[in-house]
Amino acid sequence: MDKGVPGCRLRGALLLLCLLFIPVGIRAQAVLRWGADASGGAPYVFSDPAHPDTYVGYEFEMVEALAAAMNRRPVFVSTDWETIVTSLQRGEFDVIVNGLEPTEDRARVILFSKPYYIFQLQLTVRKNETRIRTLEDCRSRTVGTLGNTAASRLLETEGIPFRGYADPVGAYRDLELGRIDAVLMDNPAEMFYARRNPRLKPAGEPVHRGAYVVGLRKGDEALKAEVDAGIDKIVRDGTLERILRKWNLWNDAQAELKTAALKRDGANAGDGSKKPDEVAYEITSSSFNWGEALLRLTRAALVTVLLSLGAMVIAVTLGLALAVGQSRGPTWLRALSTVYVEFFRGTPVLVQLLFLYFGLPRLGLAMPGWLTALVGLGLNYAAYESQVYRAALEAIPRGQFEAAYSLGMSPVLAFRRIILPQALRIALPPMTNDFVSLFKDTSVAFAISVWELATAYRELANASGEFMLLGAVVSAFYLLMSLPLAHLARRLEMRLNRRQAVEAVESEVAA
Amino acid sequence: MIRVEGLGKIAGGTRILRGVSLNVEPRTVLGIIGASGSGKTTLLRCLNGLERISEGALECDGVRLEATLSDKEYQRGVKLLRRRVGMVFQHFYLFPHLSVLGNIAEAPVQVLKRPRAEVETLARELLETVGLAKAAPRYPESLSGGEQQRVAIVRALAMRPAVLLFDEPTSALDPRRSHELIAVLRRFVEQGQTMVIVSHSIRFLEGVADNLLYMEAGEAVELAATETLLNEPQDPRTRDFLQHAD
Repeated sequence: MDKGVPGCRLRGALLLLCLLFIPVGIRAQAVLRWGADASGGAPYVFSDPAHPDTYVGYEFEMVEALAAAMNRRPVFVSTDWETIVTSLQRGEFDVIVNGLEPTEDRARVILFSKPYYIFQLQLTVRKNETRIRTLEDCRSRTVGTLGNTAASRLLETEGIPFRGYADPVGAYRDLELGRIDAVLMDNPAEMFYARRNPRLKPAGEPVHRGAYVVGLRKGDEALKAEVDAGIDKIVRDGTLERILRKWNLWNDAQAELKTAALKRDGANAGDGSKKPDEVAYEITSSSFNWGEALLRLTRAALVTVLLSLGAMVIAVTLGLALAVGQSRGPTWLRALSTVYVEFFRGTPVLVQLLFLYFGLPRLGLAMPGWLTALVGLGLNYAAYESQVYRAALEAIPRGQFEAAYSLGMSPVLAFRRIILPQALRIALPPMTNDFVSLFKDTSVAFAISVWELATAYRELANASGEFMLLGAVVSAFYLLMSLPLAHLARRLEMRLNRRQAVEAVESEVAA
Repeated sequence: MIRVEGLGKIAGGTRILRGVSLNVEPRTVLGIIGASGSGKTTLLRCLNGLERISEGALECDGVRLEATLSDKEYQRGVKLLRRRVGMVFQHFYLFPHLSVLGNIAEAPVQVLKRPRAEVETLARELLETVGLAKAAPRYPESLSGGEQQRVAIVRALAMRPAVLLFDEPTSALDPRRSHELIAVLRRFVEQGQTMVIVSHSIRFLEGVADNLLYMEAGEAVELAATETLLNEPQDPRTRDFLQHAD
């Protein structure tokens, strides 16, 4: 929220500047501010690998042509795919040009131009895959795709299990690594990322036939008319065809689009009353309903709980080993434990997760997302737990060891039966705090596409636009789980203390 | 029962014990007196293996430790030694997370692998002997210093040690409680328990020790029957100490 203030001030300052230069402003060309997600956005819009600070892509070139046809100057605004509609509504840019598919739920909140591209969905599998030929073969497998796209909605409707990714690179890499069994993607992305990869191959014929349109804010009818006219122009005069051919994206479907536009042109010139030929395409719609959303949230909550439990088991065991290593081990083990602790405490858990998920496969260790999150959080929290245990162990007087030794106990037995129980009692309150915060930290797993609560919130809210309501529901889920945990911890702590307190009182009464 | 031969201890470059030799006969109580820093507590800690000896040898109920042993052999010896030697610490060091009964039963059950029921029966009998029959389910925190000490004694005795060592048993007790402690210890001595007691309190040792050893600057100066040492000290250093003692 606080970010908005300087933004407003900046905007105010710009306005002032514009007012000062009104004569210039009027004569200057109008702009077309367009938004797209450039990260992993090839071949639509992406950073030129040769010049990372400039953007390229077939849509980038198309917008240049479109803007020229509209006599405007294109201004590119980099944004995030998942929230692109919200960003348009907030006015960060005036049009979406990002392979946007017209859907019923989007139609409720924004306007669509006429289509400029007919896309199809292509299934991709690993080169050595023999089981999967069509989408039907994927019923019992996991298919990767981009979140909130025609492909994801199609898979959802068909009841095929899928994982939503933030960009195509991640999806195809996980396919290569065997984390998923297939990827379903719009053919431009498939053409760019998968077709050239020797380890992958297309499975079956393309399915579905959808359209890309330009998205506009509700009420921007004038701009819509301008955009439509612009699209018509670049379709008819072959500008778009030239661009698409250059990017290897020209096919029969695009030819249909062009023919239809030319025919309509002819029809308009001849008899105005005659209905022009339209190019047929299908529209997917997200099947958002609250019952299903709650079901998926419950499933995500379960994942969150299992993640935290698993991670805590690792954190407790490894943390204890680290604490013992750091306070009682030989010099090399102390040094190693200290390095471990400082490394994991000193770097963000998000970076650690990304490293484990994307970096480790380079070394030949590709864990699935949920396992990566579980192990990553466990390794991270082990560093914190070790310090809790170390402090607790150091709080136990030396005499306790000596008393145990003098009773003939071995060091291991003395540690297990005498020192550890006392240390755990000291460590219990900070441990439960850590567990509650670990529970919340599982939300970083969204960065590696694990379907836990935070990911569920992001995806469901993006699909439905119900950021407020779903946010409340998701928060309730978190609280429903973390509050009893905190309560349980407090009671446990009180009981441990009370047993001694009751003892003390009883002895007073007896005496 | 205990034989110490030319025992020396050097820690961190400082000599703490030099040429200490002594014998403790079975069923007798040896009291060790001496000023602070005379090495008496260190000697006691050598006797149950909490400190490694640097010179000489010690033997207890057939377990022999020599300064020349390798670390591994020494540790093996210490393990055997601790089965024969019980220790009551100055600050007792009861286990706060275990009840009185738990404190007593822990080592016999875990170390000697004796059945818990049997151990607990023995523990209750011993508690009865020291007048703490009702304390079994209580926790150390709720006990007075004297009660804690008696639990510590019972805890050590439950391992049925050949020798029981005491480090400054009267430091936390008022005179009346010291007197009660003498009565408690006497009872165990009558049952044949050998003891070594380090104490500042000559009056306390007078009531319980058969023999006294006077230590000074890490050396065993004089060892004699309690009455003899107190009334007819032979060494001028002993005489000097006794003159200035309480």
